Amino acid sequence: MTLDTTLLAETPEGIAILLRPAGAVPRTLAYALDWFIRFIAFAIVAGVLSSVKGVGVGLMLIVYFGLEWLYPIVFELLPGSATPGKRALGLQVMMDTGLPVTPSAAVTRNLLRVADFMPVAFAFGLLAMLLRRDFKRLGDIVAGTLVVHAEQVRLAGALPQAEPLAPRMPLTRAQQVAILHLAGRARRLTSERVDELAALAETALPPPDYAPGRASPPPIRPGPRLLAVAQWLMGQR
Amino acid sequence: MSMTPRQFEARYEPLWVELERGLDALDKGKPGKKARKLKAGEFQTEATPVAGAARIAQLYRQCCEHLALARERAYPVHLVARLETLTARAHQRIYRRHDFGLGSLRDLILYDAPAAVRALRWHLLVVVLVFVLAILVVGVATWFDPHFVLTVVDAKSVRMFDGMYGQEAGEHLGRTSGDDWQMFGFYIMHNVGISFQCFAAGLMLGIGSLVMVGYNGLLFGAIAGFLVTRGDSERFFSFVVTHSAFELTAIVLSGAAGLKLGHAVLAPGRLTRTQALMRAARETSPVVFCFFVMLIIAAAIEAFWSSAGWIAPGVKYGVGACCWALVFAYLGLQGRGHAAFPAGAGGAR
Repeated sequence: MTLDTTLLAETPEGIAILLRPAGAVPRTLAYALDWFIRFIAFAIVAGVLSSVKGVGVGLMLIVYFGLEWLYPIVFELLPGSATPGKRALGLQVMMDTGLPVTPSAAVTRNLLRVADFMPVAFAFGLLAMLLRRDFKRLGDIVAGTLVVHAEQVRLAGALPQAEPLAPRMPLTRAQQVAILHLAGRARRLTSERVDELAALAETALPPPDYAPGRASPPPIRPGPRLLAVAQWLMGQR
Repeated sequence: MSMTPRQFEARYEPLWVELERGLDALDKGKPGKKARKLKAGEFQTEATPVAGAARIAQLYRQCCEHLALARERAYPVHLVARLETLTARAHQRIYRRHDFGLGSLRDLILYDAPAAVRALRWHLLVVVLVFVLAILVVGVATWFDPHFVLTVVDAKSVRMFDGMYGQEAGEHLGRTSGDDWQMFGFYIMHNVGISFQCFAAGLMLGIGSLVMVGYNGLLFGAIAGFLVTRGDSERFFSFVVTHSAFELTAIVLSGAAGLKLGHAVLAPGRLTRTQALMRAARETSPVVFCFFVMLIIAAAIEAFWSSAGWIAPGVKYGVGACCWALVFAYLGLQGRGHAAFPAGAGGAR
């Protein structure tokens, strides 16, 4: 069992798309933000309409109805698939297949908010989110939707430049992957930490005094030597 | 030795950049140049010069291949991550639903909604029985003993209903104050709230829907029975006859849709409970649309027509009968023989 909460959705082309479901905390914050936005919108409308008797009160109730039920549906069907609150927290609603949310699913998940609210203060919805690996509330389960973090986390960037260096011995694929991953993350780490981690791979790295066909002697510290090997694995000769 | 990551990136990066640019243009709402139409008998291949959407689809498939290769060959993380982001974006674009138009709305109104209601006939029967029984039992009990109304409704509400339909009722029936627009807003809020509760309560094994529908039946029966014993039956029934065609139908429909959800949880058949629930939700979503529209129609009628005291009760009964006939004909007959449901709207079976 993996520790992270990512989900894989397979596409018809046979590739897997990585989804990152959003947990209870960002979703609660997004809901609170949406509630605040709707409150402000209603306060403004009410302020304008309260001067009109009769029709004004009726329109006010209709606006309230729209803000309560149509606001999330409409925003989730627009490009971006998120209410302003979700957008502010970088969340997005999609089908659990990784596809954009369909109109009927958007309607279902938002109408069933009533069921999530029961018995008080979204208790059922919160319970469902806490019990499930994909953080779905009841409405999401029924509609087959998922609230995800829209942006992917980038832990690894491009490899730092280095003069290539052949490894001491042929490397297995797992060893190559480990070296490339560490090199990809090197920019996020201090050089001392890279040295520490690279020292674990010392047996795979060429010794500092061995460099056939190389103009300058290889670096002494293990970190730069690992980056050099990574460049060699990338195909630089 | 196979292709190194550097060679791979150098060779295919132009394609990735082209796809990225195409997606950016689509996001900004500026579609690329229109695709050249294929000549008769011509098939699209890699060599066919295409632009716009067709080119993006072509690039997307190529990038999917590149991603699969990059993962298989364990290329560096940043390369794989770039392809992952790119394919995920294109996937969202390409498989987006394009049928937001009026065509699908037409199909929903003409075929899918009444067919979905008919597919719920057994759930509907149960809900109607509960509703009608509740009305009859309380109605008859109240008719025999008017004090029985106090077991269902409190005295304050009874006085309010008396003011709305009784001898002292003003020119507007069914309300103590407020004008037509105000009441329209109020009715939408109130009735939609009740129906959504009937629907969503169905998740509690279906019992919730039955309880909600039964409770509303009790209220209606008690008030009707009470007003009949007071001799206000004409005022009351001429008020409710028209909009009840839509409102009572909507409440019963929402209850039946909720019961269907509960049924799916309780007896999922050969599916898992979640799958059964999702299928039930797909099948009932046209019904949800149906009762939602009916509630808005009901609120409009209730606010602007039913309450008008100057219209003769006979006219209201006539129009009310027409509305009831219309609702029954629509739900019972419309779209029969059309094969769109459930294969189309019902989704995967």
